[in-house]
Amino acid sequence: MAAGTLYTYPENWRAFKAQIAAQYSGAALKVASTTPAFTFGQTNRTPAFLQNFPLGKVPAYQGDDGFCLFESNAIAHYLSNEALRGATPQAAAQVLQWVSFADSEIIPPASTWVFPTLGIMQFNKQATEQAKEDVKRALTVLNQHLNTRTFLVGERISLADITVVCSMLWLYKQVLEPSFRQPYNNVNRWFITCINQPQFKVVLGEVKLCEKMAQFDAKKFAEMQPKKEAAPKKEKAPKEAAKPQEKKEKKKEEKKEEKKPAPEEDMDDCDAALAAEPKSKDPFAHLPKSTFVMIEFKRKYSNEDTLAVAIPHFWDNFDKEGYSIWYSQYKYSDELTLTFKSCNLITGMFQRLDKLRKNAFASVILFGTDNNSSISGIWVFRGQELAFPVTDWQIDYESYDWRKLDSDSEECKTMVKEYFAWEGDFKHVGKAFNQGKIFK
Amino acid sequence: MALRELSSLEKFLELKKPNKYSTQGDKKVPVLQSSDGPPLVGLITIACNLVKEAKRSELLGDSAESRAVVQQWLEYRVTKLNNYNKDDIRTILKDLNLYLQDKTFMAENQFTLADILMYYGIHPIILDLAMQEKEQFMNVTRWFDHIQHYPGVRRHLPPVVVLKNRIYPSRH
Ligand SMILES: N[C@@H](CCC(=O)N[C@@H](CS)C(=O)NCC(=O)O)C(=O)O
Repeated sequence: MAAGTLYTYPENWRAFKAQIAAQYSGAALKVASTTPAFTFGQTNRTPAFLQNFPLGKVPAYQGDDGFCLFESNAIAHYLSNEALRGATPQAAAQVLQWVSFADSEIIPPASTWVFPTLGIMQFNKQATEQAKEDVKRALTVLNQHLNTRTFLVGERISLADITVVCSMLWLYKQVLEPSFRQPYNNVNRWFITCINQPQFKVVLGEVKLCEKMAQFDAKKFAEMQPKKEAAPKKEKAPKEAAKPQEKKEKKKEEKKEEKKPAPEEDMDDCDAALAAEPKSKDPFAHLPKSTFVMIEFKRKYSNEDTLAVAIPHFWDNFDKEGYSIWYSQYKYSDELTLTFKSCNLITGMFQRLDKLRKNAFASVILFGTDNNSSISGIWVFRGQELAFPVTDWQIDYESYDWRKLDSDSEECKTMVKEYFAWEGDFKHVGKAFNQGKIFK
Repeated sequence: MALRELSSLEKFLELKKPNKYSTQGDKKVPVLQSSDGPPLVGLITIACNLVKEAKRSELLGDSAESRAVVQQWLEYRVTKLNNYNKDDIRTILKDLNLYLQDKTFMAENQFTLADILMYYGIHPIILDLAMQEKEQFMNVTRWFDHIQHYPGVRRHLPPVVVLKNRIYPSRH
């Protein structure tokens, strides 16, 4: 029986699928959705996480045996038992049919309709009206099917029911008011039966069905906007809405390629979850206190002799539990040309990493001469992971090879000495020191 | 009939040793002699007792409301389905069809003793229905088919064929 951890943000309908399946199968599933176990937007961007889950998306599952999976449907399938997956080839295929139906027929229009009511997407009347029609069509198909059936596949609850119910949660909570859902009596009966099964209830809690269709929440939408200041396009949204025809066509095209509506213009439930995540000012806040005081060391480094005072101070106070030392090497030294350009590369990176100053120190050195140079550096970071859940870090991270050093090793002692003091043999480089930059 | 039903119920509940029942009166009301008290009389009394003996009291309802609804349908079962004449059948089917329009089970959202005993009681009626009538009372048919497939319930009764794709789709 599967046992493992599900990484997600709290109250994620995609994660619910796996959680409910585990309730039925008895799989021992731990959920990591809050700090310190998991912080959405941070943990899922660490190298350790990306190593296992290259997309950095949640839900993501890691078994106690090390087995890793992403994509919510695959995770739910893995955590199911045979009865949930469909015991015959026909039943299993029907389960897959409804799982795909949920993803392609329900989720896209449901998102277009519901997100504006949650204030996470601009309202567009035509898009919403179209989405309502699409939802009605999906409901009609379900209603017809459930006229003669208690559950979607066979006579028992399966992954088909779990998946379709979870993908309709937002609809039933936000917009399917009694008069709208009244014609789909069979769907209502089935939905209510499912959400009231004990295995659903422990995961979903009490699901309150919509009493009055929620409308576009302009106030909330306005509040959410500044958080996405990075996208200047946003300002244009209301103007564009004035030419709905054109916009809709554009949207339709985009929709075909990608399931999410208008991806780069609007927020979706993922962004909303991210925005809702309590922003800890300090990404290192969850780490235990350290005896090594970075600012103190930096002061020594700036004001006193490096070899005589700063380096001894560093080793006297360094806390290898709370900090780690890394060697970085620029990957594309062949492309380095003029030295002043190479230096700009380093200072540019330092600027982008500004937010890390309290928690990192580095000496990065340019070796060699024009058209024959290399860049490498020694970094001291808070924590044991590369600290890059901070904006704009990704580009720089990917341009370097990173190697964690054993702080007790001779190699590390030598490198720290040479890089901090900007003098020595730099044996591992094989080029002469040209100039150095300090991140402090 | 009540005696076979009780013995099927015992098997469904996985009770180890079968009880010996007798009947009383012209209506052949089942009676269970108990070793340490007065005899238990009547289908409902005995059935509820078996459920408790099997420690499956959730089958009697898991909330005050559902316990009341379960009792209500058990009552309906013995008053309406133990003996009826031909004219009653349509009324019974109509009532049930309306009731089951927005329900999966007889009581709330859980499978209970009410589903089991209603299923046993209505089986002869459903068995006699033409395909078109089954479609006419689709909610009853759907519920019936679900219960007859519920693991361990059907026992002594023959399965009733139910088509999932309607052949008279225009009728509601
Ligand atoms: N198709 C995927 C969608 C997963 C997904 O989009 N996850 C979002 C949250 S809603 C995410 O983790 N985004 C983080 C990111 O893109 O950095 C699934 O069903 O698992």
